[in-house]
Amino acid sequence: MSHAFFRSIFRVLPLLLVLSPVNSSSCTMGNKTAEIRVKYENILSHDIDELVNMSAEYRDRCCKNKKHEHSKVFFCNDTQEIESLQSMACNMLKFFNKQKIIKEFRWKAALVSCGTLQVLQCKCERHKKEKVCTQINTHNNDDRETGEQSKKKCNHEFCELKENISSLRSCWNKFEKIISR
Amino acid sequence: MAVPTALLAPVLLLCGLGPRLAATHGPTGVECVLFNEEYMTCKWGSRETLTANYSLYYWYETRLPMLECKHYLWDRGVSVGCHFNQSEIIQFQPFHVLLNASVNGQTLEIRSKRMELQDLVKPGAPVNLTIRNMSSNQLQLTWSSPYPKAQCLEHAVKYKSNKDTSWIEHGVKGDIFSFPSVDYEKYYTFYVRSKINSYCGSTQLWSEWSVPVVWGRNTTSKDLAEEQLQRFWIHTVLVPIASCLLLLVLVVLLVRMERVWVILMPRIPNPSKNFDELFITHNGNFQEWAGVPKDMLESFKPNYSESICHVSELPSKESHEPQWDGSNRPPGGPGAPAGPREHSPYQNNYVGV
Repeated sequence: MSHAFFRSIFRVLPLLLVLSPVNSSSCTMGNKTAEIRVKYENILSHDIDELVNMSAEYRDRCCKNKKHEHSKVFFCNDTQEIESLQSMACNMLKFFNKQKIIKEFRWKAALVSCGTLQVLQCKCERHKKEKVCTQINTHNNDDRETGEQSKKKCNHEFCELKENISSLRSCWNKFEKIISR
Repeated sequence: MAVPTALLAPVLLLCGLGPRLAATHGPTGVECVLFNEEYMTCKWGSRETLTANYSLYYWYETRLPMLECKHYLWDRGVSVGCHFNQSEIIQFQPFHVLLNASVNGQTLEIRSKRMELQDLVKPGAPVNLTIRNMSSNQLQLTWSSPYPKAQCLEHAVKYKSNKDTSWIEHGVKGDIFSFPSVDYEKYYTFYVRSKINSYCGSTQLWSEWSVPVVWGRNTTSKDLAEEQLQRFWIHTVLVPIASCLLLLVLVVLLVRMERVWVILMPRIPNPSKNFDELFITHNGNFQEWAGVPKDMLESFKPNYSESICHVSELPSKESHEPQWDGSNRPPGGPGAPAGPREHSPYQNNYVGV
């Protein structure tokens, strides 16, 4: 009797695992490409451009020859652009609390991440990260750092964030190209 | 002494190798351009800058292994670049290139930085430029692009009239350009070029300028020559002939119409005719000619005769006395100056009346 019980349990569980989708996208704007285009072109693309320009102003000599072991690499996979953007945006939110990175830059990066998630109507797997978006939307980064504090040294977290930003922008470019006529 | 020698050896070795390496004139980098997303060329130098034949290997970060270029570009026996077909191009995936050459038994390797091919797209130049007349002196310029995704393009329009000295450039998002006020006396030339916009990429590569389109009064060099010939005929032939004819007409008029002649050339009065009667008929007798009455003529004639009485004064020896006293006044009358008259040679001779 107990053998039958365990057999039934063990059959169901693998079945559940097989049947459940591996990458379940929690984004709900998938088919509304026109709406995504409008929001991206009119609002989000400008924030991304500002973020990229900001990133170019900071010292990045330490980033050029190093490839950090723990840095995650994101690719904009074919036919899975929305999911890729979701992963990139959610990952970028983790830099919001990294004190080694200039505050203004962290805030802007978080703003772009939250904007991406909002346009695509996506959620992150770890719901903690979405608290960041609430904070971003309610506060306008009033505490700006002084000029001296903003000249922080190059570090691997900054390099990783910069890499993320570049990947996010490229993925948005790819998605825009696909959904454009 | 051993340590400095040990340090010197690599230095000397580098000094020996350095010039040789520098003399090979290696490539400074690889430049890749995607032409209208149809093919790509990656170049690393020219015949003048390269002395070795380089081999190119490439790979995409997500897709190994490394592949060698299948179609090299040559310049007088030296490989200077690589041509990639459309099937070999993958955008939105990090692209890497490695250059490899063997020089004097040494291998030179040059790795390029990571490239994003979507940022190296150079669209084809716009085609089919068309101008339409709209209402209220407005022109509308339209065109089409050989690039497959028109919505990923931004454009620039460059134009100038035949009276302008410099070009005017405008950025355009769509594929229509409206020119607000046009002068119908001028001749305009328009050019258009394209670039991938910031929504679809991040590139600074503009396409080549399109074939121009023109609008307005077309004064070509042939027309200018004709215009000059026309001006020549007018200024050099017609105007002088017309002037001569006019002059001739005026001369004829002057000769034929005395009234006009008199106005233009008034006669100089000749008074001699008026005096013909004086000299011919009256023999110069003015009074007779003038018709002076005889009574008046008679009154001018003297009715007495008077002989001339010569009076002279003989010089006297005893006369140291003044020659006059209170009864004999000097001929100058009362108040006349005395000194000079005394010695005047004419004082002694005067005609008594």
